[in-house]
Amino acid sequence: MDRTVLKAEGLVKDYRDVRAVAGISFAVERATVFTLLGPNGAGKTTTLEILEGIRSPDAGTITLFGRTLRRVDRAAKQRMGVLLQEGNFEPYLKVKEVVRLFASFFAHPREVGEILAAVGLEEKGNALVRGLSGGQKQRLAVGVALINDPELVLLDEPTTGLDPQARRNIWSIVGRLKSEGKTVILTTHYMEEAEALADSVCIMDHGSIIAEGSPRELAERFGEETVIEFQSEDAPADAIERLRAFSDEAKLDGEMIRLETSDLPRTMEGLFAWAREAGIPLGQLVVRQPNLEDVFLALTGRRLRE
Amino acid sequence: MKGILLLSRAHIAISLRERVTLFWFLVFPILLLSILALIFGNTGGEGNVRFDIALVNEDSGDGFSGMIERAFGEMATPAEGGGEGIFSLAIPRSGQDRGAFLEEEMERLSRGGLAAILVIPAGFNDDLIGALTGEERPAVDLYLNRNDPGSRMAGGIIDQVIAGVNREILIRSGRLDPEGEVETKAGWIGDGEERPGYIDFLLPGIVLMGFFTAGLFGVPGTILYSRDVKILRRYWVSPLTVPRYVAGFAIGHIGLCTLQFGAVYTIGRYAFGARLDFARVDVALVLLLSVATFMAFGFLIASIARTPNGGMAIANILNMPMMFLSGLFFPITGLPLFLLALVYVNPVSYLIDSLRAGLGVGTAVMPGSLRLAVPLGWIALSIAVAGMRLRWDVER
Repeated sequence: MDRTVLKAEGLVKDYRDVRAVAGISFAVERATVFTLLGPNGAGKTTTLEILEGIRSPDAGTITLFGRTLRRVDRAAKQRMGVLLQEGNFEPYLKVKEVVRLFASFFAHPREVGEILAAVGLEEKGNALVRGLSGGQKQRLAVGVALINDPELVLLDEPTTGLDPQARRNIWSIVGRLKSEGKTVILTTHYMEEAEALADSVCIMDHGSIIAEGSPRELAERFGEETVIEFQSEDAPADAIERLRAFSDEAKLDGEMIRLETSDLPRTMEGLFAWAREAGIPLGQLVVRQPNLEDVFLALTGRRLRE
Repeated sequence: MKGILLLSRAHIAISLRERVTLFWFLVFPILLLSILALIFGNTGGEGNVRFDIALVNEDSGDGFSGMIERAFGEMATPAEGGGEGIFSLAIPRSGQDRGAFLEEEMERLSRGGLAAILVIPAGFNDDLIGALTGEERPAVDLYLNRNDPGSRMAGGIIDQVIAGVNREILIRSGRLDPEGEVETKAGWIGDGEERPGYIDFLLPGIVLMGFFTAGLFGVPGTILYSRDVKILRRYWVSPLTVPRYVAGFAIGHIGLCTLQFGAVYTIGRYAFGARLDFARVDVALVLLLSVATFMAFGFLIASIARTPNGGMAIANILNMPMMFLSGLFFPITGLPLFLLALVYVNPVSYLIDSLRAGLGVGTAVMPGSLRLAVPLGWIALSIAVAGMRLRWDVER
């Protein structure tokens, strides 16, 4: 049985002179969380908008639920749920009116009460949308995205701008969807979000996919060494040169000095000796395994949120 | 179908809950109707002009001075009401000092509270009898306010009444043979029913103005705002299609216009005495055609404007010329040729013409075929342009 829910081949999208998506291809398997990770302007949202049916690709095809399409159609949307990065509901509609309205667009919607209960808005059913807090609006948006019990859920930067508690709530919803056998595609520029949620990650930059795999595979492939970071202030001018003597790589990264090593005991010993001699306090010292941020840095020379 | 109906219901609910929209949809047309009816229609609702005048008969005799008093009395509205006339007549109460009364009325005249004062001087009857035998003719005193146009008009009418009295005196004294006068033969047209008042002329105009405002401002305002704040985008990621959204929007808009019509008609009928009968198929079709035309215009504006503010600016530019060069509120007669050309391309001219003709307020001026063809032409053009140009999602 083919486990592929969605397959994109050679997707291209141009906005006037700017190529937002430059011929990308990827496949998403059933009951997995697939993440498009990249900085702002990488082409993640445009890719997702093509998958949502909001935009047509200038070239390429999408095979969705076994049907090859130029543009995602009504039949496909009946089986999909979408949480937009930016999108509003009518401010003067009541919460339950919004849910009932969107339910009416689908052939087999869930009960309005069931949806409100699922997102914890039962007591807000008669409240106007304009009276909801940011977190409540996001929960309403999640409820609307799940109103048709979708097989495929598309989440465009679902936690951007949310507080840590609301972010955790969204993460737990994604985990629940996966456990229910749903397929989730999400975009994010939060490296930790991709690491926490994704079964597979596509790292995008300038409209292209520059790396693809599970978070662990990617970290192992592009960053085998241990990373050591500490504050760079008070460090003497020749610090980088001296640190390279007992690490594989040393560089200045903003306000931090970053070392990479495949021999952690030797590097730590050398680092402490140098710090004692130079009188450096080693503020905010961190020793960690490489993550997706390091992968992106290794591939592009830039950080995700630069 | 359920989705379309829920969309239309949502459209109505949003408009009624949002105060600014509610004001322009319902309160403003009623306010305008009330203001224009009160200013131009006379609160009595019959559409006639009346003048407040005072009459002081200082002559003791009942003869010819009494005749003048009766002539004005017949043309006046009695204090107990019921009848109506061109004058509302104030006379001294029984036992009231005439000098004091005249002084009070002079004060009212100077303040604009009175249009004219007519004084029949003492000895008028005797002097008139003397005049019939060749002596000097007596005079009645007429006081008017130079600063009040109504006072000037009242003076002209009082002159005519006095001329009628003079004629009667000449006939009674045998000095005029009424058979020898030029005879007037009147030829009446119309169905003999009561003549419509200003409110009956005004009400169809206000009804269409309400539809017009709802279409030109409401439609692009809603569409462009919903697009720009990405409310529409929520719909487009669901199975809802643009044609189904437009169908729901249109049904909701027609529902809103029906509510608006009901409110305006009720006020016009019961507060200002409009006598129009809208419960006719041809009138209902004209109303529906009007809603459709203005809604299509709204979509046309939405397809031209890039932002909600741009849409409102275009609607404002079109608003006044289209309303005033149509005969919505005032008859369009004697316009220069270039303005007449605008009247003839303006769909509002044809719709108001059809509506008033259907309601029996006037006779249709525009050719019958054009009264349907021009609005339908605008609808077709607007839909074609909107179909090609209207963007339903924000640009990237």
